[in-house]
Amino acid sequence: MSEDTEAVDVIVVGAGLAGIACAYRLALAGRSVVLVERGTTAGSKNVSGGRLYTYALEAVEPGLTRAAPFERAVVREQIVMMDDDRSMTVSLAGPPAAAGDLPASVTVLRSRFDAWFADRAEAAGVMLATGIRVDSLLIEDGRVVGIMAGGEEMRAGVVVAADGVNSFLAREAGLVGELSAHAVGIGVKEVIALDAATIEDRFGVGPGEGAATLMLGCTAGVHGGAFLYTNSGSVSLGIVVSPDQMTASGTTTHGMLQALKAHPALRPLIAGGTTLEYAAHLVREDGWRGVPKRLARGGFLVTGEAAGFVLNLGYTVRGMDLALVSGVAAAEAIVAGGDLETAYRAALDRSGLPATMRAADGYADLMGIERLYRTYPGLVLDVVQSMFTVDARAPRPLRTQVRAAMRANHVPLRAVLRDGLVGVRSI
Amino acid sequence: MCFKWVAAEGELRVDPATRAVDASSARRKISDYDRNTIEAARVAAGSIGSELVGLTFGGPDARTGIKDALARGVDRAVHVVADEGARADGHVTAHVLAAQVRRLEDVDLVLCTEGASDTYAHETGPRLGELLGWPVVTNVRELTVEGRTLRAVRVLGADLETVECDLPALVTVVPEVAPAPIPGLRSVLGAAKKPSEQVPVADLGLPAGAVTARTTVTSFLGYVAARRRVVLADGAAQDKVDALVAGLAQDGVLR
Repeated sequence: MSEDTEAVDVIVVGAGLAGIACAYRLALAGRSVVLVERGTTAGSKNVSGGRLYTYALEAVEPGLTRAAPFERAVVREQIVMMDDDRSMTVSLAGPPAAAGDLPASVTVLRSRFDAWFADRAEAAGVMLATGIRVDSLLIEDGRVVGIMAGGEEMRAGVVVAADGVNSFLAREAGLVGELSAHAVGIGVKEVIALDAATIEDRFGVGPGEGAATLMLGCTAGVHGGAFLYTNSGSVSLGIVVSPDQMTASGTTTHGMLQALKAHPALRPLIAGGTTLEYAAHLVREDGWRGVPKRLARGGFLVTGEAAGFVLNLGYTVRGMDLALVSGVAAAEAIVAGGDLETAYRAALDRSGLPATMRAADGYADLMGIERLYRTYPGLVLDVVQSMFTVDARAPRPLRTQVRAAMRANHVPLRAVLRDGLVGVRSI
Repeated sequence: MCFKWVAAEGELRVDPATRAVDASSARRKISDYDRNTIEAARVAAGSIGSELVGLTFGGPDARTGIKDALARGVDRAVHVVADEGARADGHVTAHVLAAQVRRLEDVDLVLCTEGASDTYAHETGPRLGELLGWPVVTNVRELTVEGRTLRAVRVLGADLETVECDLPALVTVVPEVAPAPIPGLRSVLGAAKKPSEQVPVADLGLPAGAVTARTTVTSFLGYVAARRRVVLADGAAQDKVDALVAGLAQDGVLR
């Protein structure tokens, strides 16, 4: 190390929500922190569906939600089951579940939100370096002592890897292996501009309020689903599918998204909108099983999506909230000192993150049921449609209608029972 | 050296029907060619042991640009903050920059880029030199300073012209004057420790005539290339190929 270089307490790699939350909390605790980001601004490379649960923001700092530039407060939850041309929507609207008048979840656009969050961290003393790609870790005597970036070395007491789903730092540190295709979904998303009044009209919400919609049966039978979130002046429409089945399906994620936009249930919601941006992202789908056995080694720990802290629950994907609370836990572990792994596990346990992820562990089995993605939505639509069909004939009993629909969809009763058993066991 | 904070041209949206240009969602950046100018100015300042001051005139959002300029090698930055909504043309910009250059003491050399990547008007540099009453050398691709003398190589089409003048002087440079290296980790972190100053344009004490634009932009439309839109859909494949070849020959594409 040359004379003019100074070491810092902590280097955090990646200015996503986990990285910013970690750096922010460390700075508030008086640590010297460098936050290194590859994009030209914080948030410029960050992609997510766009719904953030506010308990996690409050865990970073009480009152943060009110200060944050979010898009809309989610007041309406919808699940849509669809096949090629039909759809059935379950819509839940009601008072928010969170304490006080704080919305339980909000929609965000990452470029705006992350830039604000990083600004706040900088104001607290975080040294933010954007446009910098970290090439490797600096390891001496089995301990991580810093990073190498563009031929320059920088030293720190601890390096935090918050470098996202495909964390090469965690791999280099030997904590995780290569990502397998079974462990991830591919998410693609379009942000479509619509004016605020149109959004409020179409989704039945007031000013500042929004809807979160999840869709099943729109992925050509491929393991996955779609989401539609309302922002202030746009909607985020995305689809998450399993890549190893995509190739066999003969379609592309982009093709699926375009077909979804043309679906009778979706078309009127986005009519007249112009696509502002298109983004893609890998989404971990292996839940707690995908979290590495060790989250730290000497001078190093991994957090956020890099540590596999993502939950795909079918009806919702949780990434940003887990990123925030794990980033906070990482900061707490570093401040606590002692053995990093022990301190980090303790801080994570306090945050409730492992319990949340373990509770959802069986969802991977539920999500593995192939019939969930084409057969069952079609079956449900057939049954409901026959319920609403009125003609001169005497109505058939519901059980007969269900059996007829099962026959028509080639689903034997024992398959439904087996899938039902998996479903009940997993949730 | 002077730099400009502009909208990223790749992120402008042009409405295909009305050709209206929407810059609201475009990110902002330091004008591309100004990055080369910063590097050339850094080298020139280093060669004579001078401080390099980065000077910009723009709205409040240029703050991010100042950080970038400091990371790229400017020692100190001065941001003259434009009034919200006020429009500046070459006349206003040159008066503002000249007033700020006079406020800095002992300025020997001012570097501007030949043109900014948004307007590319080629006028701020020469206007500024004239207001300062200094010699102006344009289209420069190489410059050296020895004592009180500037030697510059100018690009004249395919030819090169070498010019000498006394300092202080104003030079406008072409992008080839220097590479624009991406700043490293230490430079980026170092930028936060360098001084920068924001000066409201009102503090410069300029008369109203100097800060009132003399030109007015009456329309700002995207340029959409006119296409012939000939569709050869009818007839057998051979007929369509014949029609295509005939059409291309008629337009001089095929001979």
